[in-house]
Amino acid sequence: MEEFSLVISVAYQFGTNAAFLLLCALGLIVILGMMNIINLAHGELMMMGAYTASLSYQAGLPFPLCVAVSFLVVGFVGAVFERLVVRRFYGRELSALVVTWGISLLLSQGTLMVFGPFLPSIPIPGGSLDVGAYSLSVYWLILIAVSIAVVVALAWLYNRTTFGLHARATMQDAAMARALGVNTGRIYMLTFSLGAGLAGFSGALLAPTASIMPFMGQQFVAPAFITVVVGGAANVIAGAVGSSVLLSLVRTPVGFYLGAFLGLVALLLAALIIIRLMPNGVSAALQRWSDRRAQSH
Amino acid sequence: MKYLALLTGPEDIGQSRLFWAVFVLLVVNFLAGPLWMSEFEASNVSYYLLNLPMALGLCLLWGYCGVLSFGQVAYFGIAGYLYGIIAGNMRGDPWGPLLGEVGGLAACAVVSAIFGYFMFYARVQRWIVPILTLVLALLLETFLGQTAGYQWRVGSVQLGGYNGMTGIPWFQLGDLTFFGYSFYYYVVLVVLVSYLGCRALVNSHHGKVMLAMREDPLRTELLGYDIRARQLAVFVIAGVLAGLSGLLYVQWGNYITPSQLGLVQAALPVIWVAVGGRSKLLAVAISAYALNWITYSLSSAGNQYALVIIGGLLVAVMLFFPDGIVVTLARNMNRQALARLFRRG
Amino acid sequence: MTTHSIVRTSALEKRFGGIVATQDVDLDIPEGELRCIIGPNGAGKSTLFALLCGIHAPDSGNIFLKDRDITALPSFRRVRLGLGLTFQTNRAFHELTVRQNLEAPFRLPQGGRSSTSEKRYQYALSTFGLDMTSDVPARELPHHRLQWLEIAMVLAGGPDVLLLDEPTAGLSPEETLQTARVLRHLNDDGLTIIVVEHDIAFVREVAERVTVLHQGAIFAEGTVADITAHDDVRRIYLGQA
Ligand SMILES: Nc1ncnc2c1ncn2[C@@H]1O[C@H](COP(=O)(O)OP(=O)(O)O)[C@@H](O)[C@H]1O
Ligand SMILES: [Mg+2]
Repeated sequence: MEEFSLVISVAYQFGTNAAFLLLCALGLIVILGMMNIINLAHGELMMMGAYTASLSYQAGLPFPLCVAVSFLVVGFVGAVFERLVVRRFYGRELSALVVTWGISLLLSQGTLMVFGPFLPSIPIPGGSLDVGAYSLSVYWLILIAVSIAVVVALAWLYNRTTFGLHARATMQDAAMARALGVNTGRIYMLTFSLGAGLAGFSGALLAPTASIMPFMGQQFVAPAFITVVVGGAANVIAGAVGSSVLLSLVRTPVGFYLGAFLGLVALLLAALIIIRLMPNGVSAALQRWSDRRAQSH
Repeated sequence: MKYLALLTGPEDIGQSRLFWAVFVLLVVNFLAGPLWMSEFEASNVSYYLLNLPMALGLCLLWGYCGVLSFGQVAYFGIAGYLYGIIAGNMRGDPWGPLLGEVGGLAACAVVSAIFGYFMFYARVQRWIVPILTLVLALLLETFLGQTAGYQWRVGSVQLGGYNGMTGIPWFQLGDLTFFGYSFYYYVVLVVLVSYLGCRALVNSHHGKVMLAMREDPLRTELLGYDIRARQLAVFVIAGVLAGLSGLLYVQWGNYITPSQLGLVQAALPVIWVAVGGRSKLLAVAISAYALNWITYSLSSAGNQYALVIIGGLLVAVMLFFPDGIVVTLARNMNRQALARLFRRG
Repeated sequence: MTTHSIVRTSALEKRFGGIVATQDVDLDIPEGELRCIIGPNGAGKSTLFALLCGIHAPDSGNIFLKDRDITALPSFRRVRLGLGLTFQTNRAFHELTVRQNLEAPFRLPQGGRSSTSEKRYQYALSTFGLDMTSDVPARELPHHRLQWLEIAMVLAGGPDVLLLDEPTAGLSPEETLQTARVLRHLNDDGLTIIVVEHDIAFVREVAERVTVLHQGAIFAEGTVADITAHDDVRRIYLGQA
């Protein structure tokens, strides 16, 4: 029984770490995979998600609905940014990074001026569950389930819908896709909007676990960046999942024994070593591995 | 003569006699500053100047080499904190501050060399470098932020958490302590040497290779260059230059806080470089000076809009002057009556 | 007449996912030869060059330069050992000036190029009519000058083996002829040249021997006359649209 509850607890730690990384990184990696652009305003979009959730929660909406509202609102904001600014920077990846950083400064400072230094927080839904000597948060168990569901939904979107087909075609060769009649401009806008929406969605989901402040996005960006660097851009879903699983394998024990900060440091060190071994990330390595297998059959 | 050619070479704004005449006048103007500036004003001007080495380093890296870093403030912080620790522990020793400078800059060189090794020798894609450098700065900020307790001290110096490290000693060489006017002269000298050094570097043969790497790394490697080593070298130079700014900063204000390494501060060097025009050192020097002046004046007037203005400026420049304001102006001047100022002599 | 090989590959193989781009290639180029490589689109010619220069690592097989195994060396080392490559799509530095383009190539630390390679370089500059001091951005040059600029840049490094991937694509007949003349001259001067080319007139003009690649493998090899008379070679060329 002792061992059993220890195993459960370790699995739970591992699951929460992986879910956290996945939630932080999904929106970023969706955009990266399509346009080779890192959206530096990602943290601020997560912050906007949390703000939307907090405001609609105060307005009396049930929490799940607040999360959905955040997804839509921030997704819309993302579409507007894409139209007005980001679209002029395709093909100039470094400039795109810089301009999205400018947007991020505007968003966080603007939020500070409009809403003040903080908003009321959202109480964590669900109670806790006792397993032996350990207590697990029901909300985090839900988050683990939700992040798996989001991955499945994305896999469905990319592999089973027309949008997904067009998106994958555009990713592989935009000029060719255009020649085949795909409206790549629209694909870019929808993808950016989807990435932003996912950021808002994650921000709303993580809002109960954080204080809701203009600069709250900062705590999410470092883990998110590390996850996408390790994941790479070759395959969105495989990269995100592979990388968050790999990184939580590092973070869970280090965080458990040495504390949360060193867990984060271990993530950075792991990232440096992993990119040295697989410069194009986990997703490219997985791709190569599956090619090899295909050949030997 | 050969060294003079490095300074007057074509890879920065200004080759004509007239340009150099104006340049010398400007330097003389700075040197004569104490004739009409109060010590307080001189100290403010020192502040506007002291960020120039960091800006120039980023300009080399991004504008000339095509490698973008968002984490230059990490080296700024490393050098500043290390200087505080070393000089603070050697208080009373007339050579303590100098040792602090050497230690701070050496640490910058070592950290950037290790960090750069992993990125450049892995030949990572271009977007990875800015992201990882930013993560380094954010982690350092987080680490320093939680060093508030009494147990967080090195020798006799408290790290101080978010309250920062205070009472950092002035710079000192033997019996000569630098503050007020003497500190001002010291900053002017360091900045001038940094600028001329960078200018010589970009006009050297290595400078041409930097441009080639920016345009097409693979083509450059296939001309026979080890682009990994060359990018790493520029990355280390930029790190040391950022460290130099960090040293000047702590020697100027005698304190440093972790927020100097935070997300907002990390954005500033990128903004100075982008607004001036990353492809020319002088443009970056001018914009770094001007923007430091403006933000300092705005924020000391208690203006809460300073960062919004700066962020908006960045977005506007990226949209409407993608080559930077100063570079665009200089190029247009070339075509007009003022052409003689900047044209080849 | 030396017959010592300067570039040699053995059982070279490269796959991209499921595509076999290079397969069982045993190439042997004697020193001082001018070899043409022909083959339909997608035959693996550019991939072969990329393998020789280290842009891609082969899945198996070895590459030798002057009898030294260079299979595992990074690109820049191979260049310093004497390889030089121009790309199929022009990759002179388009945003830099002509002067900057010509100043960028690698110079050996001890006193620059050897006198032979300096002579070849100067010859190429003057016959191609390139001005070392021009501050015109390369992108403003006409296409043929850009092609010549890239060749000159590579010669500036003083290579012993010059690899040219379709150097005359998009050039007029006169420009093609001019290019052929320069290559002939450089080759007569002792430079080994391997050139990928579609234009059969050009091949006739310059080549001694021709290697035909097809589906990643060496399909035929021989003198120009042999190859143009070869029925199967005609078939694979006519077979493609
Ligand atoms: N980087 C690459 N990734 C995937 N496939 C490639 C790559 N480069 C070449 N190929 C494939 O390898 C084959 C040979 O291409 P290439 O060497 O360019 O032919 P050629 O130069 O003879 O026209 C083609 O089928 C091409 O699609
Ligand atoms: Mg080809």
